Amino acid sequence: MSAQQILLVTNIGILSCCLALVLLIVLTKLRRTARQARAAAKIGPYRHALLAVATGEDDDGQGRRELYAIPSRVWKHMNSAVVSMLSHVRGAPAEVLAGTLRGHGELDRAAAMARSRSAVKRSRGAYLLGLVRDTASVPVLLPLLSDNSDEVRLVATRALGAIGEPATAEAVIEALRIRRGRIGVPAWIAEEALLGMGVGIGPVLLKALKDDEHGIRNVAATVVGLGTYPSAAPELRQLLAYDLSSEVRRSAAVALGQVGGDGDVGAIGAHTGPGHPTPLRRICVEALGELGSPQALPKLRALLADDDRRLAEMAGESMVRIGGVGVAELRIAATGDDEGARIARAALDFARLRGLLPSDGEA
Amino acid sequence: MSEQDKIRILVADDDRDIRDLVTFKLSQAGYDVQAVDDGVAALAAIEANPPRLAILDVMMPGLSGIDVLRKLRAEESTKDLDVILLTARSRDSDVDTGFATGASDYIIKPFSPRELLHRVNVLLARAKE
Repeated sequence: MSAQQILLVTNIGILSCCLALVLLIVLTKLRRTARQARAAAKIGPYRHALLAVATGEDDDGQGRRELYAIPSRVWKHMNSAVVSMLSHVRGAPAEVLAGTLRGHGELDRAAAMARSRSAVKRSRGAYLLGLVRDTASVPVLLPLLSDNSDEVRLVATRALGAIGEPATAEAVIEALRIRRGRIGVPAWIAEEALLGMGVGIGPVLLKALKDDEHGIRNVAATVVGLGTYPSAAPELRQLLAYDLSSEVRRSAAVALGQVGGDGDVGAIGAHTGPGHPTPLRRICVEALGELGSPQALPKLRALLADDDRRLAEMAGESMVRIGGVGVAELRIAATGDDEGARIARAALDFARLRGLLPSDGEA
Repeated sequence: MSEQDKIRILVADDDRDIRDLVTFKLSQAGYDVQAVDDGVAALAAIEANPPRLAILDVMMPGLSGIDVLRKLRAEESTKDLDVILLTARSRDSDVDTGFATGASDYIIKPFSPRELLHRVNVLLARAKE
């Protein structure tokens, strides 16, 4: 066979393979479309019942009964529609949808999936258990916090947050710990989960504020602030003053601004001076505004003339946040001709632009 | 309420489930609901036949709910239209942005359909006053 003939045969072979591949793709897509159409036709008759239940418009319970009575050959197409709907609603409709899933054995299947060898299945199982928010699922979810898969740990943390059982807070905090150089779960995921557990986790947070790992202290400080745990203020003052991690000190300042009172003006204000790192100074200036105490006004007014222009602007914004007395003080500061007065005027203009103050004509 | 008297509400969300949920709930309460699946279609629908209230998702393909809201507030004919943002974005800064852009109300997903209906009723009653 000549070289030309070999080339021709090779080309024909490649072309045939390409055509076969295209045919396979088209066939696969057609089969998928047909399968989806068949599934849509099967679940179509139940769509009204699903919407009635999901919107709380099922006063006579007819929709719920219809969903419960779906035959298993249809349910396998319907379950994803119910799960999807459950992820959109809360309140009584969500409870009825969760009951439907339970009635069709989905929770048992989800618990089995959570123990599967496949990380995708474990993740899917954990997601479903979190969506249904049943405290009975906690024992299944807790071991997943130390799963080898990052995704599974993350989904399990979120699921526990959705369930909101305070007794699981300590396990979620433990999941944050860095092991063999790997982060257990991202801080913001743990924060969201802990915030979902309510005020009952106060003692666990107090303990976490004293943890050896700075990442854990940081998360605890953030949650204490966002969740408004005023009893943690003494620990936050300690962290702000003495913690070796600058990140923890900043989080403690933010949290103290959120949960503190008049007595914390000194603790926060002490870190606004030029001797402290700029990020901490700026955060403390914002925290004084968040604190809302008029006792912070002398400190903030002095900072209007600070060499760090952004910090000076933030001092003006914080004075506005303190309210009427802060704005009055800012107006007095704005009457001069120095840099501080210019910053004060800019802060008042900015507040007007944001609709926080009436415009000049209205004032 | 006759067909002509029905108050028109526009819903814009790229998620079919949400469109169906809101449409079902508000229709049951007697409203005339039009649903579209993106921001561009929402603007076109509002321009063609202004509703009394619009419910917008924030994260939509093309124009986001915030973009749509910004355009509505910039137009004389739609600057006072009541707009509810219905979104999964739950951070304080997202809520701040929504209200600062001019949203009349802000509802976070997952949501209670009953609460949504109450808020719609309240906004429309206020507009009547």
